[in-house]
Amino acid sequence: MKFFIPFRKKSPWILHYNAGSCNGCDIEILAALGPKFDLERFGVINTGNPKQSDIFLVTGPVTYRSRERLVELYSQIPEPKVVIAVGSCTTTGGVFRGMYNVEDGIDRYIPVDVYVPGCASTPQLIIDAIVKALDILEAKSKEIEKPFKLFGAIETIGNKLSRLNMAKKVELHEKN
Amino acid sequence: MKKTIQIPLGSQHISLLEPIRFKFECENEKIIGVDADVGFVHRGVELACTRSFEFKQVGYVVARVCGLCAITHSLSYTLAVEKLLGYVANDRIKYLRMLMVELDRIHSHMLCLAHTAENAGFEALFMQIMADRELVMDLQEAISGNRVQFDFIAIGGVNRDLTPELSALIHKNLELLSDKIDTLLGLFDNNWSLSLKYKGVGVLTLDQAYTYNALGPLARAAGLATDVRVETSDFPYEALGYTMVLESTGDIHARNFVRLREILNSIAMCRNIVDNLPSGEIQEKTKGKPSGEAVVRVEAPRGELFYLVRGNGQNMLERVRIKTPTFSAIPAMMEVFKGSEYADAPAILASFDPCMSCTAK
Ligand code: SF4
Repeated sequence: MKFFIPFRKKSPWILHYNAGSCNGCDIEILAALGPKFDLERFGVINTGNPKQSDIFLVTGPVTYRSRERLVELYSQIPEPKVVIAVGSCTTTGGVFRGMYNVEDGIDRYIPVDVYVPGCASTPQLIIDAIVKALDILEAKSKEIEKPFKLFGAIETIGNKLSRLNMAKKVELHEKN
Repeated sequence: MKKTIQIPLGSQHISLLEPIRFKFECENEKIIGVDADVGFVHRGVELACTRSFEFKQVGYVVARVCGLCAITHSLSYTLAVEKLLGYVANDRIKYLRMLMVELDRIHSHMLCLAHTAENAGFEALFMQIMADRELVMDLQEAISGNRVQFDFIAIGGVNRDLTPELSALIHKNLELLSDKIDTLLGLFDNNWSLSLKYKGVGVLTLDQAYTYNALGPLARAAGLATDVRVETSDFPYEALGYTMVLESTGDIHARNFVRLREILNSIAMCRNIVDNLPSGEIQEKTKGKPSGEAVVRVEAPRGELFYLVRGNGQNMLERVRIKTPTFSAIPAMMEVFKGSEYADAPAILASFDPCMSCTAK
């Protein structure tokens, strides 16, 4: 609905996921939420719930075990959504590139809207990225976005895309 | 018939900075069994240190094992390689390294305090401690050029020198910080609602600490006198005013108190370092390639960090083995959870200051 668009921009909620980072960028996200940099003045609040989030902040180069969770969290966030890759290792693999348990960056799995460089990236950069993400969020529509590599399937039910079965294969993986 | 329910926590949860999954076996509100899965962030740093990076680069790679105690990782690795090269750093280098390690300890302890406060439901206290923490972050940025991951230590020295302006800034900020810590000490001791969440919660007794191999602040809060800073002689800690901080009750309150008082101790040491900084070069040439085997122990903010480095005279090392404090302390953590309330679990977890990216590497 058009009615909600201005509100969404005024209070974007973020979901933070650590996909194998070294914590360096995670504590910078915490610092950005803290009083000195005060990300909360943009209405941003850190939620732990993908269903209520608009912005997906990911850190880390995606380890073998976190990739399923990454895709699942991504597919649970309702559209419109924006993905921010925080840190060099999230964007390209960085220093971890080529290690045996690492998938070299999240854009192999999910579409990324904003890349934040730096190892570790600073709170200033993270704030810039979120402000930029707000513009992208405003321009996006409710259309379903798909991850690049799916572990389940997106089906059409009654002419509409449905993500009901998206997490199926993830559960299978989980069991072993 | 007794009935238990299983409640999972993680791997993605608002109270967790990093992915770790717990399965709590609960009887009503009481936790009677815990199962933890810590391997979500395993990247394979150890292997890469011997395959894809030369020994001069590895110091910067192992720093990325953990962002909170990056400097202790690069320090331990550098010390080990310097032992193999037969190089002894001069006093100025030693002092500068110690300065950064202690600043890092301050910021890591403060983050832990803030996180514990947040998980126990004290959002305002979290904000207050995070605000105070920026004083140290500013110092680190001024000295090394980066807020975390400062890559300050290199083989044969340090990468940046301390100027007189920086020394003045350090004194100024640490002065401010020590006042704030004093306020926090009073707050943690006297505030009634904090005491409800912290005092008597998550108790680790001295016996348990001894049996289950607790380390660092976790052990010192239970009264176990263990600190690598006094057990090794790599750095002149005692000359610079180190005192062991011990508490006896072993609950969250004691852990918080150990951290706060260690911060004060670190502040005092930092001041001493800046005041008594010897003169000398900050970078010296090292010769040769590492050959042989060296073991180094360093006190990280969370406890003993252990490094084994083996080389065979080549550019590539043969083995780098990292044993991190959280990994050693997992049995003790599991023990503390048993018998406490489920609602306290996030706060107890944060009070251990666990570092999963260290554990899984
Ligand atoms: S970019 Fe660097 S500091 Fe940030 S999570 Fe990755 S390795 Fe750590």
